[in-house]
Amino acid sequence: MPTLWRSTAMITLLAMAASGRAADWELSLDTRAVTSDAGRSFVDGGFGTTRYGSHDSGIQLGRARLALSAPLGELWSVHLDASIWDDTDRSPVGVTEAYLQFRPYPRAGYRLRVKAGAFYPPISLENRAAGWESPYTLSYSAINTWLGVEVRAIGLEAQLDWLGTRTGHDFDLGLTAGAFGWNEGAGVVLAGNGFMLHDRQTPVFGRVGPPGAGALPFEQFDGRAGVYAGVEGRWLDRVVLRVLRYDNRADPTALDNVSGAIAWDTRFNSAGLRVESETGWTGIVQWLGGETSIAPGGQSIPWPFQAEFALLSKRLGRHTLSARYDQFRVDSNSTPPDFERYGWQRGHAFTAAWLFDADAHWRLALEWLRVGSHSYNRPDSHAGPPFATETQLQLAVRYSLGSGVR
Amino acid sequence: MRPPTRPRRHSCAARRAAGALALLAALARAGPILAATLVIHVQTPDGHVLSGAVVTARPLEGQARRPAPVHAVMDQVNRAFAPDLLVVPVGSTVAFPNSDSVSHQIYSFSAAKRFQLPLYHGKPYPPVQFDQTGVITLGCNIHDDMLAYLLVTDAPYFGRTDAQGAWSADVPRGRYQVSIWHPRLRDSQADLERELTVGDADRAELTLHLLKSLQPAPIADRPHSWDY
Repeated sequence: MPTLWRSTAMITLLAMAASGRAADWELSLDTRAVTSDAGRSFVDGGFGTTRYGSHDSGIQLGRARLALSAPLGELWSVHLDASIWDDTDRSPVGVTEAYLQFRPYPRAGYRLRVKAGAFYPPISLENRAAGWESPYTLSYSAINTWLGVEVRAIGLEAQLDWLGTRTGHDFDLGLTAGAFGWNEGAGVVLAGNGFMLHDRQTPVFGRVGPPGAGALPFEQFDGRAGVYAGVEGRWLDRVVLRVLRYDNRADPTALDNVSGAIAWDTRFNSAGLRVESETGWTGIVQWLGGETSIAPGGQSIPWPFQAEFALLSKRLGRHTLSARYDQFRVDSNSTPPDFERYGWQRGHAFTAAWLFDADAHWRLALEWLRVGSHSYNRPDSHAGPPFATETQLQLAVRYSLGSGVR
Repeated sequence: MRPPTRPRRHSCAARRAAGALALLAALARAGPILAATLVIHVQTPDGHVLSGAVVTARPLEGQARRPAPVHAVMDQVNRAFAPDLLVVPVGSTVAFPNSDSVSHQIYSFSAAKRFQLPLYHGKPYPPVQFDQTGVITLGCNIHDDMLAYLLVTDAPYFGRTDAQGAWSADVPRGRYQVSIWHPRLRDSQADLERELTVGDADRAELTLHLLKSLQPAPIADRPHSWDY
């Protein structure tokens, strides 16, 4: 209930701000026709690696989304992204991002941006469309699915860019640093479900999974702030290279006395490269590697993880054809015998998608996704044999409306 | 066998008359009546014609005529500057309307003119005056991918090369300094400056070759809503 109140208050505040001068807004409705042979979805407490399991085949609500951006004076603005995901989260309307931005005019070739609120750290090179969606596929890569599920900065971020391309050079350079709280739970889904490929982002203070059994990634009870720092280089508007280090600095021995939740000490490095050509080709490679651990009672139980993907996409007028290969692993070198295999996962995935922008309002998308994965959590939870090949086919129709949609 | 003899002595009057004639001829040559056409061709290092390059020509002799200031317009249409390059004489004013329904915040941190303008829909701002020569890079503080250029010049003759990579102007005869500029130029400005004489012929032509290839053009059809 506090979450619902928080969301409602935030939406009301933003709607009031938005009713003022020059607010930009966008509404979209994304519906899906799905056929899947995957195991039960994580949304229902299962171990499927896709968003929809075999008994979700049929018509589904992909996402209903409302986004607002409103200036507060000349240099400040507020941004809100709220969604309904057709599941039983803590609040029927979830806020995926809500932040205040300070945006002074660039000076002498430098640009500063400061954000306060809840937002994504600048890691993904794939989720570049509105609402942190991918303009290439419906389901995000394993890396970015995990970021959408468990990683959000609820705090402060500063970004300083040197705008070389505006001063006669071929390069831009950027530095980002963030400090955040409420991310003690980041890692719990990785150890519990492993990597997945879908597009269900966890709302801020939301829950991953069904009521009573789901994980809560956005909790704060150890009194420590997490940090991240990253570097970005750009060559003209063609190549982007991003490197970032994230550490939620959670105390792995901390326990929440109210919920009984354990703090997950999660740190990772990420690197990504995106190359685009004037002929409509886009290539993205991204890598992420790190470790999450808990130490209830003092003994550390670590889960090292690593994932990478390569995506190739071609834009042909209003059509976008994309193919992606994902690879991911979670290791389990825990010493307690009964924890020996818990969380261990190996997998890879192929994604092929066709997106068609019929006009500014209507988008049609067809996506085929096949995930092969080996996970000990499936037999341990009596959810089937360790190895599974899961295939999901989705047809999506999205209608968008807004001040910028013309 | 001897060459025809020439008078060895002139009268004072004859000398004065000859001097006056020479002066008249010189004046006539400098005037527009005896103008010639200056044609500049611009080519890339691989020999392709370059359209859209800015050409400026300054006379190196005599009193330079300053171009008359103009009132120009640079609009914002579909989250882009329109046009994306303007060449104006020094002292000109440029109006920045906003034809979009979304807001823009136009800025420049270029040395020739530092300014910022919040452009909300239906709220016009007075035009901006440009009193210094140079290249001014324009951006939008809200939409990072928006980019345009303003070239402020004191050259009496300027323009942009056409689809055939050529620019021409009728100019008085004399010596000129010609320079070219392009938003995606990698050559240094000094490497592309030339001097030439517009002499007795009706046309004076010059072909300028870039030494380095241009930067690739920005990707045109990328949706503006994407993180760029």
